[in-house]
Amino acid sequence: MKDTKANAAAIDVRDLYVEYRTDDAVVRAVNGISFRLEKGRTLGLVGETGAGKTTTALALMRLLPDRVSHVAGGEIYIRGDDVMALPDRTMNLIRGEIISMIFQDPMTALNPIMTVGDQIKESLKIHNSEKRSEREIDARVDEVLELVGIPAERKKDYPLAFSGGMKQRIVIAIALACSPDILIADEPTTALDVTIQAQVLALIDELKQKLGTALLMITHDLGIVVKTCDDVAVMYAGQIVEYGSVQQIFSPGDHHPYTEGLFGAIPNVRSKARRLTPIEGLMPDPTALPEGCKFSPRCPKCMEICRTQEPAESERDGHRLKCHLFGGEAHE
Amino acid sequence: MLKYAIKRFLLIIPIILGVTVIVFTIINIIPGDPAQRILGVGASEEQIRELNHRLGYDRPFIERLFNYVRDIVTRFDFGSSYQNGDSVVYKIRLNFPYTLKLTVLQVIAYAVIGVTLGVLSAVKQYSALDNVVRVVSVSLAAFPGFWVYMIAILLFSLKLGWLPSSGVESWKGYVLPVACSAILASAGLQRLTRTTMLESIRQDFVRTARAKGCAEGTVIWRHAFLNAMLPVLNQVGISFGMMLGGTVIAETVFAMPGLGSVIVNAIQSKDVPVVMGCSIFLAVIFCVIVVLLDLASAAVDPRVKAKFVKQ
Repeated sequence: MKDTKANAAAIDVRDLYVEYRTDDAVVRAVNGISFRLEKGRTLGLVGETGAGKTTTALALMRLLPDRVSHVAGGEIYIRGDDVMALPDRTMNLIRGEIISMIFQDPMTALNPIMTVGDQIKESLKIHNSEKRSEREIDARVDEVLELVGIPAERKKDYPLAFSGGMKQRIVIAIALACSPDILIADEPTTALDVTIQAQVLALIDELKQKLGTALLMITHDLGIVVKTCDDVAVMYAGQIVEYGSVQQIFSPGDHHPYTEGLFGAIPNVRSKARRLTPIEGLMPDPTALPEGCKFSPRCPKCMEICRTQEPAESERDGHRLKCHLFGGEAHE
Repeated sequence: MLKYAIKRFLLIIPIILGVTVIVFTIINIIPGDPAQRILGVGASEEQIRELNHRLGYDRPFIERLFNYVRDIVTRFDFGSSYQNGDSVVYKIRLNFPYTLKLTVLQVIAYAVIGVTLGVLSAVKQYSALDNVVRVVSVSLAAFPGFWVYMIAILLFSLKLGWLPSSGVESWKGYVLPVACSAILASAGLQRLTRTTMLESIRQDFVRTARAKGCAEGTVIWRHAFLNAMLPVLNQVGISFGMMLGGTVIAETVFAMPGLGSVIVNAIQSKDVPVVMGCSIFLAVIFCVIVVLLDLASAAVDPRVKAKFVKQ
C-alpha cells in the first residue's frame, strides 16, 4: 500500500469547509482552504486563536466532534487516500500509524488512570503490523521514552507524577511511538515555559530529520515558524489568506495586511518603536462572517471593494495571497 | 497503602459506637415497655413489673446501655430476644443469608442495568434510544416500590403464571423481587452514569485515544468509562448498603424470610436486643463496604491514591 502511493502528497487538502452546528447558529470554522504537504517537509499553520487551525487538524484526523461538527465541503487526502470515504476500521489503522497528532494541552491530553507506559504501548499494540512480541513492544516503549528524554523506568508512573513539560514529552512520545509518516503538532509548546519549549522543538526537529516525517506545525508563534517550517500558511477566519515559503513570508515585499499585522504585534529589541502595534479589533464572529474579505473590518488598507467582494487568490512563484490589493494586475 | 487501609478500618469502631448509642437511645424513647407488648393488655401491673425485671428493663437507661456495650466488648454477647429468648446472633445467622442473597442479586442486576443503559445513553446522546431510556427510567423511578411489586405479582404470577408469587423454595422466587427493585433503583444509577460518561467522553484524553487509532469500544470502555467509574462505583456501593437494610418491603410483599422483617417486627415489639443486634450488624457491613469502596477507588485511580497515601 505504501509503495503505490509513494508519489502522493502526505497531506492534500482541497477546498475544505468545516462547520459547527449549535442549536441556534452555524459556526463556519473553516472556509475553503487548500494546501499540500509533501513528505519530509514542514508546513506552518499560523493564525490567531479561533482561526480554524485546530479544526483543520481535527478534520485531517477525522476527529471532529460528532453531531456538532462536520466537513461541509472539500476533500482531504492522506497519502492519496480520501479520508472522508474511508471506513472507520481503516481510519483507525491510519490514525496513530500513518498520521499522528501532538495535542495542545498536555495537562488534559493524557489518561489520568493509565500509566504512561501503557498509554504508549496501547498505540504500539494496535499498529503491530510487524508482529512484535510483548517484550519487543516493551523495549520500544523504553526506546520512545528515552527518545523524548524521559528515563524508561518512569513508564510505570501515572501522568500526575509528571510536570507539564514532561507530560508534553509523553504526548509527543505517544504520537511518535509508531513512527508516523505525518505528524500534526498542535501548538506543541504553548503550555510550556521557554526553556522546555526550545527542547521540545529541538526534539521534534531531530525526529523529523531522523524519520523523514512530514510535519504540520500549528502555532501562533512566528518565532517557532521561522525556526522549524519550510512553508507557511497564514490563516484568518477559516481561510488561508497568505501562503508561501518561510523565505517569502518573512522577507519584505507584498504581504497580506493581516500578515503584516501579525509581524507588527511581535516585540523586536532592535526596533525603536516604543509600543507594539496590535491588530485592532477582534476576529469576526464565525456565526456571522462579514461579506467580502473577512479581514476587511480590521484592515488598515481596506477599500470599497473589500467590503462587498471576496478577494480571489493570486499567485506568484508559489506565493499565494488572498487580498484585493494584489488581485490581478496589482500583483503582477 | 496497607497503613491507610488499617487506619480506615480502625475508624469503623467509633462509628459503630456512635450507631450503638443513637439506636439504643431512639428505641428507648419509643413509648411503652417490652413486657407490656409481650403480655398484652390483659396483663396485671404485677406481671408486667416482674417480666420487666426479668428482662433487666427496670434498670436505668444509662446502666442498660453500659451493660449492653460491656457484654459485647467483653463477651461478644449480643443478648437474646425479649420475645422468645432466642439469641440475637442465632436470629441473624438464620435470616441474614436470605437478605444477603436477595441484596447481592439486586445489586448485580441494578449495576448491570444502570451502567449499561447509562453508558449507551451517553454514547448515543439525544438519540431515540437515549430519549426512551431517560423517559422510561424516570417514570419507573416515580412509582412506589411496593406498588410495582404487586403489579408484577398480578401480571407474572397470577395472570401469566410464570413465576411464584411468594417463597424462596426455588430460584424462581427471587426473580420478581430482584428484577423489580433493580429496575426501579437503576434509574438513578443510569442517570449518574450518563452524566459522568458525557463529561468523560468529552475529555481531551479520549480524543488522544482516538488519535492513537483505538477502536470505538476501547475508547468508550477503557478510556472514557474507567475514568467515569469512580462516582458510579461509589453509588453502587452505597446502594448495596441501602438495599441491605431496605429488603423489608420485598420480604413483606413476597413473603420471604430475611433480616428486614425481623427488624421491623422487633421494633414493633420493642425487642431492644434484636433491634440493636441487627442495627449494629448492618452498620458494620455498611461501614466495611464504604471502606472497601474507598480502597478500591484508590486502587483504580492514582489521583485518589495520591490524596491519601504518602509514598
